[in-house]
Amino acid sequence: MIYYFGTIVMLVLLAPILLSYIKAVKMVLLFKRPISLFQGYRNFSKLMQKETIISEETSAITRWAPFFILSPLVLILFFLPPVTQGSYYVSFVDAFTITGLISLSTFFLMLLGLDSASAFGGMGSSRESFISALVEPAMVLTIFSVSLMAGNLGIGQAGVNLAEHFPQEHMASFLFAGISFFILLIAENGRIPVDNPETHLELTMVHEAMTLDLTGVYLAIIESAASIKFIIFASLFASLFFPFGYRLEPVEAILFFIIKLFIIATIVAILEVNTAKLRLFKIPNLLGLSIVFAFLSLITFYVLGA
Amino acid sequence: MFQFDTLSLIFVALIFFAAIPNIFYSLGYLPHIKRKSYYVIHYFAFIFSMIGVVLSANGLVFLFFWEIMSLASWQLILTEPKEKSVIDAARFYFFMTHFGFIFLLLFFLIVSNGDLEISFTQMHSIASIFPYPTILFFFLILGFLSKAGVVPVHVWLPYAHPAAPSPASALMSGVMLKVALYGLFRFLFDVLYPWPLEWGTFILIIGSITSLVGILYAMAEHDIKALLANSSIENIGIILIAFGMGMIFDTLHMEILSTFSFIAAMFHIFNHMGFKSLLFMGAGAILHQTHTKNLEKYGGLIKLMPVTAFTFLFAAMSITALPPSNGFLSEWMIFQSMLSSSNITNDMSLKLAIPFAIFALAMTGGLAIATFIKAYGISFLGIHRSSNAKHAKEVNFFMQIGMILMMFFIISLMLFAPQFLKFFDSLFVDLGLPSVYMRIFPEDMFSIHSVGVHGGVVSPLILLAALFGITLLLVVAYKVLNVKERIYHTWGCGYKTSAKTQYTSTGFSGVMRRFFNWLYQPEECFYKQNLAGHETKFLDASYEVKIKPLFERTIYDGLKKGINTISYWVYRLAHFEQTRYPAMIFNLMLFILFSYRIFTHEVSWESLMIESIMMLISMKILVIGEKK
Repeated sequence: MIYYFGTIVMLVLLAPILLSYIKAVKMVLLFKRPISLFQGYRNFSKLMQKETIISEETSAITRWAPFFILSPLVLILFFLPPVTQGSYYVSFVDAFTITGLISLSTFFLMLLGLDSASAFGGMGSSRESFISALVEPAMVLTIFSVSLMAGNLGIGQAGVNLAEHFPQEHMASFLFAGISFFILLIAENGRIPVDNPETHLELTMVHEAMTLDLTGVYLAIIESAASIKFIIFASLFASLFFPFGYRLEPVEAILFFIIKLFIIATIVAILEVNTAKLRLFKIPNLLGLSIVFAFLSLITFYVLGA
Repeated sequence: MFQFDTLSLIFVALIFFAAIPNIFYSLGYLPHIKRKSYYVIHYFAFIFSMIGVVLSANGLVFLFFWEIMSLASWQLILTEPKEKSVIDAARFYFFMTHFGFIFLLLFFLIVSNGDLEISFTQMHSIASIFPYPTILFFFLILGFLSKAGVVPVHVWLPYAHPAAPSPASALMSGVMLKVALYGLFRFLFDVLYPWPLEWGTFILIIGSITSLVGILYAMAEHDIKALLANSSIENIGIILIAFGMGMIFDTLHMEILSTFSFIAAMFHIFNHMGFKSLLFMGAGAILHQTHTKNLEKYGGLIKLMPVTAFTFLFAAMSITALPPSNGFLSEWMIFQSMLSSSNITNDMSLKLAIPFAIFALAMTGGLAIATFIKAYGISFLGIHRSSNAKHAKEVNFFMQIGMILMMFFIISLMLFAPQFLKFFDSLFVDLGLPSVYMRIFPEDMFSIHSVGVHGGVVSPLILLAALFGITLLLVVAYKVLNVKERIYHTWGCGYKTSAKTQYTSTGFSGVMRRFFNWLYQPEECFYKQNLAGHETKFLDASYEVKIKPLFERTIYDGLKKGINTISYWVYRLAHFEQTRYPAMIFNLMLFILFSYRIFTHEVSWESLMIESIMMLISMKILVIGEKK
C-alpha cells in the first residue's frame, strides 16, 4: 500500500519536472541555455499567487470546469499498473474506463473553450474535438489489443501480466500497438507534430487556445492537468510497452521506472526538435496511421494470433 | 389477444417511464399549440397504441396497433403545418412507414398461413418449415428497421422527428424507435428462433454502419432537433451492435455471453430513451423561447435558462458515454461483450467484422463528444447570437418538472444499475437463456463484472464517489486559498468581444466537414461585398453550408428518377396517335404467340433470345418510332 500511494505521489511530483525536462532537452539541442527542471514548480507557485480574472461573458462553466478537468486525470493515476512487485494496484479498471475518464476531462476543457465567447476558444475547441474524435478509436483499439495479449482486460493486471510473461509469441501485434500508442501519446498531449505547446499563434494553437482567457489558480489547475495527462500516457507506455524492471527490488524498480519515463520524454523531445508542426488538415494522416496500426494490431492478433 | 410476458412488460415499463415526464412537459407546452384538442387526442392515441403494440399477442392486433401508432405520429407531425417543409416531412414519413408496413404484412401472411389470429408460438412452427427463412428475416429487417431508422432506410428520420412538436419528438425518438426494436426482438425470438450465423453478422455490420453514418450527419447539422434525430440513428446502431453480438454468441452456443450482450442492448435502449427524451425536451424548451431551431441563433442561454442548461448538460454527458454516467455503463457492457469474442476460432468473417464494430463504436464515441460539445457549447455558452436568444427566459414550471423528472430517471439508471440489470436478466431467462446476474455481480452490488474470461470490471458508484471526492477536495482547497477575483471582459485582441467574434456552429464543425468532404459533399454559398477591390477586405460577408445526405442523393433521388422515366414511357404509350394502335396490337399478338411456348414447355434459350430480339425490334420500329 505504501508503494501504491508512494508511486502516485511520485508521479504527481514528477509531472511538472518531466515537461520542463522535455523543454530543457529541446533547448540544449537548439544550443540555448536550458531552463531549470523546476521551472514547472516556479510557474505553478507564481500562478497560485496571482488573482484570477473571470470574464463577464462566461458562465458557471468557467468556474467549475477546471476542477472537472483535473479530477478525472487524478483519478486515473490510481488505476495505473504497478511499478514494482508487491505494490498494491487496482487490477480491474479497463481501457474503456480510462479513455472515458480522459474524455471526461477533455469534454470540460472544450466547454471551457466555448464559454469565454472568444474566437480563440471556439477555434481551440473545434480543433480539439476533431483531434480527440480521431484519437479515441485508436486509443481504444490499441489498449484493447494490448490487454488481449496480456490476457486480461484490466489495465493494472495487464501491466503485471506483461511484466511477468512477455508476449513473445504476439510480437507483431505488440509492435503495431506500440507504434500506435506512441503516436497517441504525442497527439493527446499536444506535442509538436500535432500541436505546439509553446506558441500562442492562432494558426497553430489547439490546447492553448482553449485556456487563453484563464489566469491565476485556474490556469495553474489546467497546466497541472496537462502535465498529469502527459505522465499518465508516459507511464502507460512505460509499463505496457517496456514491461521490464518490474521484478527488481522495489526501490530499484521505482528508479528504473523513473529512468524509463525520462527516456520517453527524451524521445519526445528529440522528435519535437526534428519535426515541424503539421498543418491541421494533415493531422488526420498521422492519426489515421495510428488507427491503421491499432487496427492491424487487433486484426493480427485475431486472425494470425501473432 | 394480449399477452403479458416479461418482454412485453419491460417495454410497457419503458413507455411509462418515458410518458410520465413527457405528460408533465406537454402540459407546460400545450399553451403554445394552437390546435390543442387535436394535439391531445393524437398524443394519447400515440402512447396507447405503443402500449398496444408491445402487449399484442397475435399478428392482427399487432398490425392494428402498429398502424395506429404510425398514423398517430404522422398526425402529430402535422400539428402545426405552417411550413411546407413540415408537410413534406410528414408525407415522406407516411410513405416510409407504409413501405415498412408492406413487409411486415408479407411477413405475417407467410408465417401465419393467412390466419392472422394465431399466436406467435404457433407461427414458430410454420416458420420453421418455411424453406427460405432468410427472406422472412429480411422482411423483418425492412419492416422494423425502416421504422427504427437504420441505414439506408433512415433518411426520413431527420426530417420527420424534428417536425413534430417537441414532446412528440421526444416520444418518437425516445420510444417509438424502441417499439420498432421490440418488434425485431419479439419476432426473432418467438418466430425465427434458431438463427444462422450470418444474420447476427449482418445486424452487427448494419449496426456499425448506422452508428457511424448517424453521428457523422449529426455532427454537420445546424438544426438542433435534426442533430438530435441524427444522433438517435447513431444510438439505434449501437443497440443493434449489441444485439448482433448477442445473436452471434447465441449461434455459437456461448449462451452466457449472448445473454450479457442482450442485456447490454436492453440497457442501452433504456438509457437512450432517458437521455434522448431529455435532450429533445431541452431542445424544445430552447425552441419554445427563441422560436428558432437554428443553432446559429442561440448562445448564452445558460444564464437565462439555468434549469434547462443543467439538465441538457447532464443528458449530453450521458449520451457521450462519459464515466460514470449510465450511457457509459451500457457502452462499456457492449465493448466488453465484443472483446469477449477473442476466443471465437472458427469464422474468418467474424474475426474481421468484430474489430470493425469495435472501431465503429469507438469512433462513434469520439464523434459524439464533438457533436454534443457543439450542440451544448454553441447554444448555451458564449454570448447570444440573435435577439431571439437575448430575450429567452426559463420555461414554465411544468416543463421544468418534466425535464427534472427525466433527469432523475437517468440518475436512477446509473445508481440502480444492478436492479435494472436484474430486471433485464429476468427477461432473457424468460426467453430461455441462462441467467447471468450472479456473474455480473458476483460479490457485491458495486461493481459490474464482464462475463468474459478475464473480463474488465467497472464500478459506477466508486467512480462517482471518487470523482466527487477529488473534485470536492480541489474546490475546498480553492476556497481555503481565498483567491482574489476580478471580473473583466474576454480578451478580444484589442477588438470588442461581441457575438460576431465567437465561433459559429458552421465554423465549429468546419474541420470535420472538410475532412469528411467525400461523405458530406456540401453545397457552399459564399457571398461577400469587397471593399474597393481588395480581396481580403470586405464590408459584409455570409457563408452558408447545406448538406444533403449522401443516401438521399443517391438511392432516393435515383429511385425517383427511375420511376419518373418509367411513368413517362407509360404515359407515352397511353397517349400515342391512333395510327400506332394497330402496331401495338400486332406486338401483343407476337407476344402471346411467343409466350405460348412456355405453356407447352418448349422453351429453349435460343428461341427465347431470338424471339425477344424480334419483339424488341418490332417494338422499336412499329410502336416507338423515330425520335422527334
